[in-house]
Amino acid sequence: MTQVSSKVCILGDFAVGKTSTVERFVNNQFSDKYLTTIGVKVDTKELSLADGLILKLVLWDVAGADRFGELELNYLRGASGHLLVADGTRPETIESARRLREQAVDRYGDLPFVFLVNKADLKDAWEADDAEITALRDEMDDVFVTSAKTGENVAEAIERLGERIAAREFSL
Amino acid sequence: MIFPDRVNGYLQASFETERRPFCFLVDQENRLLDSWGDASAHHFENLDIGDAMDEFAPYLVGLLDGSSVRLPFVTTSSGTVEVHIIPDGDNYYVIVMDAGEEHSSHRDRQQVANEVRLLHASQKKLIDKQRSLISELVETKTELDHQRLEAERTNASKSQFIATMSHEFRTPLTSIINYAELALEDGTGVEVIRKSAEAIARAGRHLNQLVDTVLDEAQLETGQIKLTERAFDLRELFDDIAAIMAPLAADKGLSFGIFVAGDVPETIFADDVCLRQILINLLGNGIKFTETGRVRLDISWEHDTLQATVTDTGPGIPAEDQERIFHAFERAGDLDRRSRPGTGLGLTISRKLARLMGGDIQLSSQYGNGCSVTVFVRATVPERDREPALPEPAEEFRAPRPTTILVCDDDEDLLALAEYYLQRAGYGLLIARDGEEAVQKALAYVPDLVLMDINVPRLTGSEAAAKLRAKGFEAPILALTASDVRKLDSDDFSGSLRKPIQMPRLLAQIQTYI
Repeated sequence: MTQVSSKVCILGDFAVGKTSTVERFVNNQFSDKYLTTIGVKVDTKELSLADGLILKLVLWDVAGADRFGELELNYLRGASGHLLVADGTRPETIESARRLREQAVDRYGDLPFVFLVNKADLKDAWEADDAEITALRDEMDDVFVTSAKTGENVAEAIERLGERIAAREFSL
Repeated sequence: MIFPDRVNGYLQASFETERRPFCFLVDQENRLLDSWGDASAHHFENLDIGDAMDEFAPYLVGLLDGSSVRLPFVTTSSGTVEVHIIPDGDNYYVIVMDAGEEHSSHRDRQQVANEVRLLHASQKKLIDKQRSLISELVETKTELDHQRLEAERTNASKSQFIATMSHEFRTPLTSIINYAELALEDGTGVEVIRKSAEAIARAGRHLNQLVDTVLDEAQLETGQIKLTERAFDLRELFDDIAAIMAPLAADKGLSFGIFVAGDVPETIFADDVCLRQILINLLGNGIKFTETGRVRLDISWEHDTLQATVTDTGPGIPAEDQERIFHAFERAGDLDRRSRPGTGLGLTISRKLARLMGGDIQLSSQYGNGCSVTVFVRATVPERDREPALPEPAEEFRAPRPTTILVCDDDEDLLALAEYYLQRAGYGLLIARDGEEAVQKALAYVPDLVLMDINVPRLTGSEAAAKLRAKGFEAPILALTASDVRKLDSDDFSGSLRKPIQMPRLLAQIQTYI
């Protein structure tokens, strides 16, 4: 059994559910109350992968763009992958997540990532139409419609990212 | 910056109290080499040299790459700290300082800012939705207004139609009732009764025509009318139309003409009944609305399309009415036009028929300056020159020898039909339109046979036959009548035929007398 650690940054516009997604994945909990993240919140969770590899994900829940619209790119240093999160009730956040990924790629190169369109539980307020999700899936390999509230697809998405990182860094 | 020792000591004590710094040294593998400061303030109290620091400071993963790093706010389960990583040869100093208070204050400000941004976004969404709803409402209201106006217009048109039809029907009905009552009065003479009957018949035919028009429109509306195409002689059609329309134009003192271009084929394959109806409608309108000047029909042919243009010197049609008058029950808006008889269906029917024939109607008019209506219909030129409009008489009915027949009738249609059949069967023909003329011509030309309608002006058929016999006329006289033939004097008449007359039977009967 081998244990390795990888840093993963969770990126997305403010209030899209980045902290809730990590909280659901790490502690299987959810709170409806919105609490702004400042700087970075760090959590860890181990994934058991093939060939007995234990991948310890160090999850950097990076604050969304602050009131000045800037993301502290220093936080992304040393990351092995990115978890991009958008809010299905605010389609404009899909474009924000795309832009953040472009900035990260410009600064630190192309890394494994998965794309989450979150808040699938808010059916009445959902505005990301099927065509938009289809366009994302045409553009990217791993797009998940998730709900941090119900847990829908959260673990699947992060595990997929873990597999991608392991495949790239540990040749699994 | 150099401060006095006393100040330096104060600043250091303040900093250590507020930020509680803790420093540790790790190697490239993130293993602890040494540490300094308040370990318990940041839950590092149980550290041993050689410990893997991934457990205690997971945020170092990926950051030991030879560069200095400052992370202002790093929140873990132990609290929020400020982290500095300072490379020193192959090792790294890591300084951890309490940042909880500043983090709290920073977060409170950012929380408010983010909530305001969310609120604005939500308000914008609501406003956009409201605008969209308002647009939909305005659109719906506009559509409803349009439909209401359309419904009101249709309703007004139908009311106008009912008023018009009421007037149109009442006029002939009034004639029928009054003439019938006149005929029923005691002591009314035969001549008055005959004239009353004629008036009643005329009014009845007019009523019939009105009903036909309304039914035509209804059938076109429901798509029940199908084309019956055949080859027919265009010149004969124009002759027929001229025979119908020219007297109407002459009654109003209008000049009338049909002008056919040289390249118009003799025979075309199309629905002649529909074409006739369209042209009669258009010419009828032209004559109806023109008080002075002329009405003309110009015919041309191009690319399997017959083009017929009716031009008049009437009052013209205002631009705003030019499309409307093609709608059922609509007529141009001026009172003068409204005062004229008609259902307002003629143009509607004509356009529908033209479209049924693969064509259309175009109207061009300058108000006060006449009107020009052009109808286009698709047609083909048949390979055979023509098919006869009416069948040729069978061989056995042809005249066995040169024979002249006198036909006396006041019905022009029946005269035209008799003329067609008898001449094609090889008979010579004399025509008389009343009894007196029949007597004169029979005595003057001594025909081989007389076909005598009983109900003709001046002298009845019976009186004319009696007069001829009295004057020694010996040739057979056949009575044409819709009445009881037993009332006829058998000394005067050689035989009789009941109306309506079937031409083959007439030809067969003629042969038995010659």
